[in-house]
Amino acid sequence: MAGLAACFGSGAMTNSIAEFEDAEAFLVIGSNTTEQHPLIASKIISAVAQKGARLIVADPREIELAKMATIHLRHRVGTDVALLNGLMHIILKEGLEARAYIRERTENFEQLRSLVEEYPPEKVAEITGVDPLDLEKAAGIYAGHERAMLVYAMGITQHITGTDNVKSCANLALLTGHVGYASTGVNPLRGQNNVQGACDMGALPNVFSGYQSVMDPAIREKFEVHWHVQGMNETPGLTVTEMLDGAETGKIKALYVLGENPVVSDPDAKHAARALRQLDFLVVQDIFMTETARLATVILPASGFAEKTGTFTNTERRVQLSRQAMVPLEGTRPDWEIISDLSGRCGYPMDYHSPVDILHEINQLTPSYGGITYNRIKDSWGLSWPCPDEDHPGTPFLHKDRFARGLGRFEPKEFVPPAEMPDEEYPFVLTTGRIRFHYHTGTMTRRIPLLEREAPEAVLEMNPADARRLRLRNGNMVAVESRRGELRMPVAITTVVPEGVVFSTFHYGENNINELTIAAIDPVSKIPEYKNCAVSIRRL
Amino acid sequence: MKRLNKERVSAFLREMNEIQAVLCPCAIGGRDSILMPLAEGSRQEPVGKTTNSAKGALFPQKEDIIAFMGDRILKRMATEKVLVFGIRPCDMMGIHFTDRFMTRGGFRDPHYSARRDNLTLIVVACREPPTESCFCVDAERKPYLDGGFDLQLFDVGDDYIAVPGSRRGESLMANPHFKESPDGDTVELVEFKRKSLESQGAGPGFSKAVERLKGDGPDEAFWESLATRCIDCGSCVYVCPTCTCFNVFDLSSETGFVRYRTWDACLHAGFTRETSGHNPRPTLGSRLARRHEHKLKFDVLNYGEAGCVGCGRCSDACPVGLGAIEIIEAINT
Repeated sequence: MAGLAACFGSGAMTNSIAEFEDAEAFLVIGSNTTEQHPLIASKIISAVAQKGARLIVADPREIELAKMATIHLRHRVGTDVALLNGLMHIILKEGLEARAYIRERTENFEQLRSLVEEYPPEKVAEITGVDPLDLEKAAGIYAGHERAMLVYAMGITQHITGTDNVKSCANLALLTGHVGYASTGVNPLRGQNNVQGACDMGALPNVFSGYQSVMDPAIREKFEVHWHVQGMNETPGLTVTEMLDGAETGKIKALYVLGENPVVSDPDAKHAARALRQLDFLVVQDIFMTETARLATVILPASGFAEKTGTFTNTERRVQLSRQAMVPLEGTRPDWEIISDLSGRCGYPMDYHSPVDILHEINQLTPSYGGITYNRIKDSWGLSWPCPDEDHPGTPFLHKDRFARGLGRFEPKEFVPPAEMPDEEYPFVLTTGRIRFHYHTGTMTRRIPLLEREAPEAVLEMNPADARRLRLRNGNMVAVESRRGELRMPVAITTVVPEGVVFSTFHYGENNINELTIAAIDPVSKIPEYKNCAVSIRRL
Repeated sequence: MKRLNKERVSAFLREMNEIQAVLCPCAIGGRDSILMPLAEGSRQEPVGKTTNSAKGALFPQKEDIIAFMGDRILKRMATEKVLVFGIRPCDMMGIHFTDRFMTRGGFRDPHYSARRDNLTLIVVACREPPTESCFCVDAERKPYLDGGFDLQLFDVGDDYIAVPGSRRGESLMANPHFKESPDGDTVELVEFKRKSLESQGAGPGFSKAVERLKGDGPDEAFWESLATRCIDCGSCVYVCPTCTCFNVFDLSSETGFVRYRTWDACLHAGFTRETSGHNPRPTLGSRLARRHEHKLKFDVLNYGEAGCVGCGRCSDACPVGLGAIEIIEAINT
């Protein structure tokens, strides 16, 4: 998000999902779209299979979309910046850049030109393992179509260079003039149904709702007046990774966790559990018992989505109303009620009577949500922000005529290798991800027998060549060890992963791959490098 | 034969609702409609073609088989009387198809059968195809029924012509909302059926595809190539009127033990995976082949009737354009 905001002025999908159907070319990088965003994938699949759109997949794994791709760039894990710089090098060398667009709508182009000059195909091939010819073809396809969608997800962000990766994606789109129109843009796919909404509402350490900075005195004053308080803190707070570090060192004494399960989802998970145990006071609010809730001093049982009314803001910035369908289970309450009640007991009464009151306040205080009122979304499919007033139709695609920050800014970045490279002791790269049958740490999906039948346990994907070398057959148990821990799981032998790389998922608390992952973080976004750490594998 | 004025339908259904649960097609947003209890939804007129088939009335998405605590049985199978209004001939043909192996032969599914015995079905014949995906005539069926229903309604403008197909249907028509048919309704019905058949589009070429599958049929590569588009969501199975595969699960809690079953889908790998881990249908392509060969080839060989009634729901539901229509077209090219 920080990366896109720096280049464009806004950190969200530039386009709406419906626009995918009319794209002529796609570059899908670091997104296993079929598994993780199947309905967005279905638009890509239909555009490719039925309308002849070209598809470039850039992913170390042979994900399902790769099977129908025009080109599959199978770069090494963590070499995205080099790959993207290499594409830009070719585009400039061949004169495929959008000159008028660069002149009129962007800044800092010369810096980009001189940086990507240093990434000729041969050097890029050396870093990424991608054939220069494939790179040239991909550059030609992406730059050669007017409506080209760049799609990315966690494969781009979950690296120590996550922000650099995002900026490099944005650079590529700016260079080719692929932002600011329908069916072409840069589209980070957000995972959860409402993660966009959580960010929009200021569930970030440095902003109020609508990305209004806590450091801006005028903004602070606006909120102080509305909330009848004084002296709001101007210092940005901590990110999750920093909070857990703080808990371990004793700087943080108490933590209130809502709908998260860091004991399973955080990198170097044993460290996360250890840190949480150091706290004087841990509150966990969730709809089911979780590994994190087991460590809590107090558990606040919340209602599930069907038991409450409210809005979700999805990945395309669309705010949709979700209506209560059933009475909450006894003893549970909607999150907003719990928070309001807690706030009252802490000495600041909140007098919201319903989610409609809260949305009304959002409309008043958040410019981009100004026109997304209850009356407008109650009988519609919702509205996409920015939507500043009640007459505004919402915004399917961003940056038309002008970027949110004015000019689009090239932010050239050098390639930096991942934090922990394989060596003699730990010769494999472990990369982690998800499968379609489970959601995150499985607190919900692993309670559904049919989903559990499809994917009942953690497995380690391994290339047949590596399996032969280790004398492994499909299903054999192995010990996977990193500098942080050791797990035992069966191998699934498949060409989906390249040689030297193994893959597993973090859905299984009882065999938690995050006990192996590294807590190295991106310096800007503080997102951990889940996609790369070094492991050794031993046959059992 | 009688007539039922369309404006009387709601009053009639409300009266029926006094003595048994009434389900009818209700709009739920967009182009979607589903069968819902009369009191809970907003009844849709014309009835259209529901997004889901009517199978849920006999075979719910999830149903408890038994619930007990210690030696005390907490719940047995449903025995409630239900009237379903507004299903289409394709739904009814789907039910006939599933009746074959759920209620007859060597095995009688007690839950399905209990619901079936308690079910009254009012079919609305199709004057014209309710959606562009309909291909029942191409699939060797008809947009109206010759038998096997309780009551069939033919839309002739302000009225429905009502034809009984069972004793239950006859007794429904004793309700005072039904009026005597004027002379000439027999002719009107013949005319309805003729026009209804004529109004059907060409269809994807069902019988040609069946013959191809019975012969050499397309090879593995054909199915694998189609499967690159499939996202394994199972929608085609869930909306299909003849798909009745299910899985059984046990759930225990402090308040008791429940054994329940839910719809399952043969496209999911776990459906055919064996305990050893071996999967005889290891790829999505092989499972796609299995599903369509089952319906278009093996059902024809075993029962003389395809397991596809041409309702087109799978083609409506599939997010990547891989329903029966597209599969049949692909087989034929």
